[in-house]
Amino acid sequence: MNTYSKHEVLLSAENIQLQYGEKVVLRDVNFRIQDIRRHGINQGQVVSLIGRSGIGKTQLFRILSGLLRPGAGEVRIDEDQHVVKPGEVGIVPQNYILFNHRTIYQNLKIGLDSAQLNLSEAETKSTIAEYAATFELSEHLKKYPAQLSGGQRQRASIIQQVLTGNKFILLDEPFSGLDVLMIDRVMELLLKISTLSEHNTLIIVSHDIENAAAISDMVWVLGAEEGKPGATIVKEYDLCQMGLAWKPEIRSDMRFVELLTDIRKHL
Amino acid sequence: MQTLKHIFEPLRLLNKRTLTLLIVIEVLLALVAWQLSGGGLIPTPAKVLAALGDIVQRPDFPDNLFASLTLTIKGMGISILIALVISYLSIVPFFQPLAKFVIKCRYLTLTGLIFLFTLLTQNGHQLKLSLLIFGIVPFFVTSLLSVIDNIHAQEFELCTTLRMNSWKALWEVVIVGRLDQVFEVMRQNFAIAWLMITSVEGLSMSEGGLGVMLIKANKYVQLDVVFGTLVIIFILGILFDYLLGTVRHWLFPYTKLTVRR
Repeated sequence: MNTYSKHEVLLSAENIQLQYGEKVVLRDVNFRIQDIRRHGINQGQVVSLIGRSGIGKTQLFRILSGLLRPGAGEVRIDEDQHVVKPGEVGIVPQNYILFNHRTIYQNLKIGLDSAQLNLSEAETKSTIAEYAATFELSEHLKKYPAQLSGGQRQRASIIQQVLTGNKFILLDEPFSGLDVLMIDRVMELLLKISTLSEHNTLIIVSHDIENAAAISDMVWVLGAEEGKPGATIVKEYDLCQMGLAWKPEIRSDMRFVELLTDIRKHL
Repeated sequence: MQTLKHIFEPLRLLNKRTLTLLIVIEVLLALVAWQLSGGGLIPTPAKVLAALGDIVQRPDFPDNLFASLTLTIKGMGISILIALVISYLSIVPFFQPLAKFVIKCRYLTLTGLIFLFTLLTQNGHQLKLSLLIFGIVPFFVTSLLSVIDNIHAQEFELCTTLRMNSWKALWEVVIVGRLDQVFEVMRQNFAIAWLMITSVEGLSMSEGGLGVMLIKANKYVQLDVVFGTLVIIFILGILFDYLLGTVRHWLFPYTKLTVRR
């Protein structure tokens, strides 16, 4: 029984517009992410923003992270709903950018240092070691990013953002370029991160409907409306309400298969 | 037969032994061709080798070599410091016009500026050093700015998400993050320094130097000595190239990881 309740708004987008010259990229993008609570678990939020390639997902990704100012509208975060500032939302780009001149340990340390927790050297080491162990990176701490596989780099990149203390983490195409087994491990990792803290919120921007929806509690479809320029949220699926959230065997559920078909119709 | 096919195949990676063998064979072939086609005005490799032996045994050779090396290293050291300051400052909008102007100075000829530099400097050594620095800095700045321009915007965005201010981002991404490439820029531009050293040494010959040796030998049409001196300059260049490359890989081990071998 997936008993849950929704509470305060943690992230909201209000009337986001983005235009380059005459070309409208995004139009009237509105959505809200609410804190989900479940008994006995730190239930974070995992939401997916699905859309076809080139629809404007990456632009919306940059707007949500505060790296790009929209032409109109605001993105607000946290309980006080202040306008997002760069650095308040972590990002994991598709190509898993890390500092190539730093070892994985040093990369993670930069993330932890930015949290300004004033940890001692020993505490810093143990915190990083703990996260590295949890996410199977212990043996790679002394390596440089170029020595890691795509999946390992992605894990390091995600953990770096988690260590900054950011509750909101945006992931651009997290399943892209990974094999089937690796995708399963990434999904496990994301679910693990989402349950580390009550307010942890992961926003997955992807065109991979099945994998994104399988771990989400909310799916938004970014698409174009006939006769109107630019992309907007054309459909919202509340997977908690539909009884399709937090189910490990969701892929074999016929309702999930129907959901995927319905999402495809709206792309 | 297979190896023979491989050496003419695009993108084929040869093992170290085969590559060394290939270099040795090609060098030998070039020397044989040179020996067979020489004999007239151009000295043969045998004559150049004899002249080389003679040059290194001259009592003034160590002084000339030392003069050229110290001038080059001093010139390179000061030039790279000036070029780094200009390049790093170019990130700050106020200094961008200065950096752009320095880049364009590549097109200025040193010959036209000798008189000005003679007025500005106090002795021959300073004149040579100033001209060398003035000649090298624009090339260094051009290469360094190209390195900075090629930094992916996402690296700076990563700094933003890690809450670094713009000075910290400059330090992490541009200064520390590209320090290995400073060595590569030095290595690539060292050839330009060598090219200039022989020219500027002729401006004040009292200190001697390999450039002075070249000028004197040219004056008396001692072509075997000219070629012998060129061989020394060539070997020194290769040596510095190797040294800077090795130091770069030693100081920045991650540079070896993305190289196609």
